[in-house]
Amino acid sequence: MAGNQEVTRVLFQDFSAGAVRAFYAVGYAAIAVFLYGVYAQVRKYRRGAPAGVPLNLLPRFGSMLRIVLNHRMIKRRDRQAGEAHRSIFYGFVLLFIGTATITLDYDIMGPLFGVHFWHGDFYLWFSLVLDVAGVLMIWGLLYMMIRRGWIRPPKLDYARPDRAPGDPDYDRSFYAFEDWAFLWTLLTIGVTGYVLEALRLVWLQGDAGVWRTRWWSPVGAALAEGMRQAGLSDTAAGVMRRDLWWFHGLLALVFIALIPFTKVKHIFTAMGSLMFRDLKAAQRLPKEPADAAYPGAQYITDFNWKQLLNLDACTKCGRCHEACPARAVGAPLSPRDVILSLREFANQTLGSADLPPQAQLDVHGKGPGQVAQETLWSCRTCMACVEVCPVAIEHVPIIVKMRRKLVEDGAMDPLLRKTLQTIHKTGNSFGESKRKRAAWTKTLGFPVKDARKEPVDVLWFVGDYASFDPRNQKVTAGFARLLQQAGVDYGILYEGESNAGNDVRRVGEEGLYEVLAEGNITTLSAAHFKRIVTTDPHSYNTIRNEYPDFGGQYEIEHYTTLLLRLMQEGRVPIARQLKSRVTFHDPCHLGRFNKGYDAPREILRLIGCELVEMGRCRANSFCCGAGGGRIWIPDPVGAEKPAQNRMREAARIDGLQVFVVSCPKDLTMFEDALKTSGLEGRFVVRELIELVREALQTEDTAVAQAEA
Amino acid sequence: MKILVAVKQVAALDEDFEIRADGRDVEADFLIHDLNEWDDFSLEEAVRIKEAAGGTPVEIVAVSVGPEQADESLRKCLAKGADRALRVWEESIGGSDSIAIARVLAAVARRESPDLLLAGAQSSDHAFAATGVATAALLDWPHAAVLTQLTVTPGARTARFRRELEGGLLHEMETDLPAVLTIQLGINTPRYASLRAIKQAAAKPIEVLSLGDLSLGAGDVGESGSLSHVRRMFIPEKGRAEMIEGSIEEQARRVIEIIREARGVA
Amino acid sequence: MSEILILAEQRRGELRPATLELVTAAQGVRRAGDRVVVALIAAEPQALVGVASAAGVDEIVTVPVAAREFEPDVIEAAVLALVDARKPSLVLVPHSIDAFGYAAALAARRGYGFASDVFQLQYAGDTLVATRGGYGQKISIEVDFPGKSTVLLTIRGSTFKPPEGSGSPDVSSFAAPAVRARVRSVEFLDPPPSDDVDMTAAEFILSIGRGIGEEANVPRFRELADSLGATLGCSRPIADAGWLPKTRQVGQSGKTASACKLYVAMGISGAIQHLAGMKHVSTIIAINSDAAASIFSVARYGVVADIFEMAEALQEQSS
Repeated sequence: MAGNQEVTRVLFQDFSAGAVRAFYAVGYAAIAVFLYGVYAQVRKYRRGAPAGVPLNLLPRFGSMLRIVLNHRMIKRRDRQAGEAHRSIFYGFVLLFIGTATITLDYDIMGPLFGVHFWHGDFYLWFSLVLDVAGVLMIWGLLYMMIRRGWIRPPKLDYARPDRAPGDPDYDRSFYAFEDWAFLWTLLTIGVTGYVLEALRLVWLQGDAGVWRTRWWSPVGAALAEGMRQAGLSDTAAGVMRRDLWWFHGLLALVFIALIPFTKVKHIFTAMGSLMFRDLKAAQRLPKEPADAAYPGAQYITDFNWKQLLNLDACTKCGRCHEACPARAVGAPLSPRDVILSLREFANQTLGSADLPPQAQLDVHGKGPGQVAQETLWSCRTCMACVEVCPVAIEHVPIIVKMRRKLVEDGAMDPLLRKTLQTIHKTGNSFGESKRKRAAWTKTLGFPVKDARKEPVDVLWFVGDYASFDPRNQKVTAGFARLLQQAGVDYGILYEGESNAGNDVRRVGEEGLYEVLAEGNITTLSAAHFKRIVTTDPHSYNTIRNEYPDFGGQYEIEHYTTLLLRLMQEGRVPIARQLKSRVTFHDPCHLGRFNKGYDAPREILRLIGCELVEMGRCRANSFCCGAGGGRIWIPDPVGAEKPAQNRMREAARIDGLQVFVVSCPKDLTMFEDALKTSGLEGRFVVRELIELVREALQTEDTAVAQAEA
Repeated sequence: MKILVAVKQVAALDEDFEIRADGRDVEADFLIHDLNEWDDFSLEEAVRIKEAAGGTPVEIVAVSVGPEQADESLRKCLAKGADRALRVWEESIGGSDSIAIARVLAAVARRESPDLLLAGAQSSDHAFAATGVATAALLDWPHAAVLTQLTVTPGARTARFRRELEGGLLHEMETDLPAVLTIQLGINTPRYASLRAIKQAAAKPIEVLSLGDLSLGAGDVGESGSLSHVRRMFIPEKGRAEMIEGSIEEQARRVIEIIREARGVA
Repeated sequence: MSEILILAEQRRGELRPATLELVTAAQGVRRAGDRVVVALIAAEPQALVGVASAAGVDEIVTVPVAAREFEPDVIEAAVLALVDARKPSLVLVPHSIDAFGYAAALAARRGYGFASDVFQLQYAGDTLVATRGGYGQKISIEVDFPGKSTVLLTIRGSTFKPPEGSGSPDVSSFAAPAVRARVRSVEFLDPPPSDDVDMTAAEFILSIGRGIGEEANVPRFRELADSLGATLGCSRPIADAGWLPKTRQVGQSGKTASACKLYVAMGISGAIQHLAGMKHVSTIIAINSDAAASIFSVARYGVVADIFEMAEALQEQSS
């Protein structure tokens, strides 16, 4: 555009040299404070244990950048917050790039190379983009304010279930103060930016170049019009501009300086957390280092730097708090509050120049920042928190790490303790003799191959509940019949099979887990098979994801994928369509852990069931409550159980006939909950295998059998 | 102070067990071994005495008379806080009754000179309820059985305790030391030995002694050293209850009927 | 012709009922010419002569000792001297808590034939055969005592019925050697009556065991006991865990529910310590989900069912 060559914004226009120097001094001071803050944070992280994470910086950085740019993790399950945050994010990033560009031109390129580029068309487009960026940012901020102040979703309430009202660290309302301060500060910086823009335009209305191109800063120009209409003179505007400039500048510099000390640091900590995340966080727990003095975490310094970084990444979005099944039924656990407590504790103890004496670093207990035993034992390790966290905080491994220490100290419910001893002694949680493990096969009427003695195509790892629990034994026998009918060459390990160890590991008894895993792997190594199938999602998870760390690498699938394949190949002849109205409960260890959502649904479709999803389905499925060893810990009297909560959710589906599960623990928990929540008779709970078997029978056979 | 804790690895019967061909015991294949439940409590009591002693050193030695298998139970003791473990075994000890075992334990006690010997009130397999007290008699030491509470201060010449009698009555007594005391269930809550602790205990050596080390001969143990002789073991004709069948409702109805009949008569 | 010596047990001035059960046990192995003798070892044995004069007792020996209550050194010295003097072929002791504290010591010192917790004894020809349990009472073991001129047995309680009627035995006395008591009685402590229940007077008891699973389930069964009009009792593990007060514990160490005529056991497998306390009850109904539970061999009626379902069904039917 002709004549725009010289258009630019003169920095520090009409400022005295002293004023400029003062500004730079404050600027450098702010940067120094910022750098010190960063140093203190890094010092804190370095006080943690080594993480043993393969750094792979470049691919990790790329992956993180993608997630941050497309915001998919923040948008998931909360579109409004996701969109608003994206606005703020892009607005802020653009404004930041803008400032950086100016610095580049004025402080670097100019003085060093005599090159200036921030003028002319570039300058004009620059101004337009930044104006839009400012609008984005302010719009996002306003939405967030409305959300916090007026909409007030429950997950933003900082009331914590793991402390009683009288406790010294019960009140977390100071976080709300910080949230509002952050919002208001950014808003103010943004708004004053526009006002400043407008004031400059009014002040320099005499400069033709500036005035002519003012609409390249549309918001500023509009405001400037308004100011002129209101009678603001150019000199008055000049004075106001100078004062507001200092206000805006100082506010921005203070903001920057305080980044490492406030919520604003999530800009970096979130990126760091995302960069170093473990994609298999809760599915594959870490081994204990062989040389540790004690297992798990006793002191804050036992957490590794990545976990300490996780603690700082939390922005208290409340999604984990909302998703947690323990919290939903009033247990004293909120994953958010565990993270916040540990964060406060870390800041308190690891934030200063000298490390406090070790006794003060104990994270267990009910003091400020500590985590209580009942909080840790409430966890179902269902991974809902890890899955939903937009900044990849790994709550479950942190909780299990603390449990490992509790187990070592014997600090657990007597029933849990007894169960662990029973599992050690008999290899199963029922205390039954090993010889009885395959007793269910006696009801079949045909022999089941012993995979230890003869080679088979498919090794069926049955699992504890499926082998010993009477109700589940029916399902197990049903699956055997399906396999038989489909002509699958399969076998089981008979007494050679022990509890796979998934839940033992999640309880924190790592030593016992090793014994179980190593034992099973030894047995599996001696057997001959091509692949493994299992009817137990817990066993599926640990064999698939964790056994490789112990030398056991197998191809394993959950029965739903095998069964679907058999059905698609026509080896399981469907005789009729069931036409039942059903809902499917995704088992945690199959669905959320291992993304096995589709096979069961396809099976239900093939047998003619009308599937109506519950609100909390697929990745957001609501745990039955049995995981993490909770099935071996008595529930508090009178409290609602997660399974009952789920039953009530299902009951809201009109005309629901069958609640379908595909996990033995789910079957046990939900059948029980159906009775105890008073919903018996409304619908039934069935395992998917049972429904498939029903579909194999013609109407007549089914009726005849029912009458028999 | 030194506390000697005598522990036994007991045997429980597995499913579908069979009697040995000679009819005098169960086939070894069908035996499942574990630390005697009572011994968990006596070891825990010893560890508590040690922990309560504060600075005063207390050494806990666990001893078991049994074959190599018994090392498993001794390791559990080491994991829970025993300082040392001893095992005594020779073929000739097989077939010993409580008194023969007591003779071995008494010899170990003479060798170790503890201030206190703790044992379980009985074992969960054969329940003789005799070994501890018989050991005391052979040592000519004061003894008491079925303790549900014990207070021992290292260095003191006496100890106070309570034994639980029929009906829940408690009998407070005092004993001179050294003494043999047998411990009843419920005296404390035994601590959990994590698998990690047990594995680490596997690194600690278990001293294995022979009869010769204890100045005993084959005649002191086994059948020759026992005060009873096993003629046969057999599965008893069990009296069997009259089983009530039917659906839950039918069974409940019959139970109520029986209750009403019995009360009418009572 | 030999002597069967019964060591009576006394506490707080009363003869314990197990003593008389031994008189019946002795009749079972008494051969022609044998004498059944009851030894009363107490501070004031004279006072117990009347009660101890049951039918079938030929002689009562009073052995005064310095100890008012059980002190093992005192009892042992007295018994050893008595047995040395009288040389009985058989010495019977109740398998009681006191006996835990001294019976084996006697046998170890003198090398008597010895077996404990015997529930059956008879002669096979000239050989005395005693039967006791093994492997958690799942097996029976027959033992004999080759070459032993004196055999000492502790006899399981509630296995023999006390004799009906009384007799007029000869009464003699024996001077026991004075001995220093290294283990001394201090005092008795009655369990605190925390909930006013007197198990010894209850005629109808509903007992719960480990099968109930969690403490949270106790009220459910308390409710059931109330609806049925039964007194709620429990086995040892429940009382040890603190889910019910010790006063409610029934079994060998718990209250002897001597007046109980009707006993319903839910979720109790039948560990011998519990059964020992309840064998005298005329009607025992056992409810357990494990068909192989030992309690089914002791109970009169058995129901294999889930105890929670049964509790509900019973509650419904009883209202």
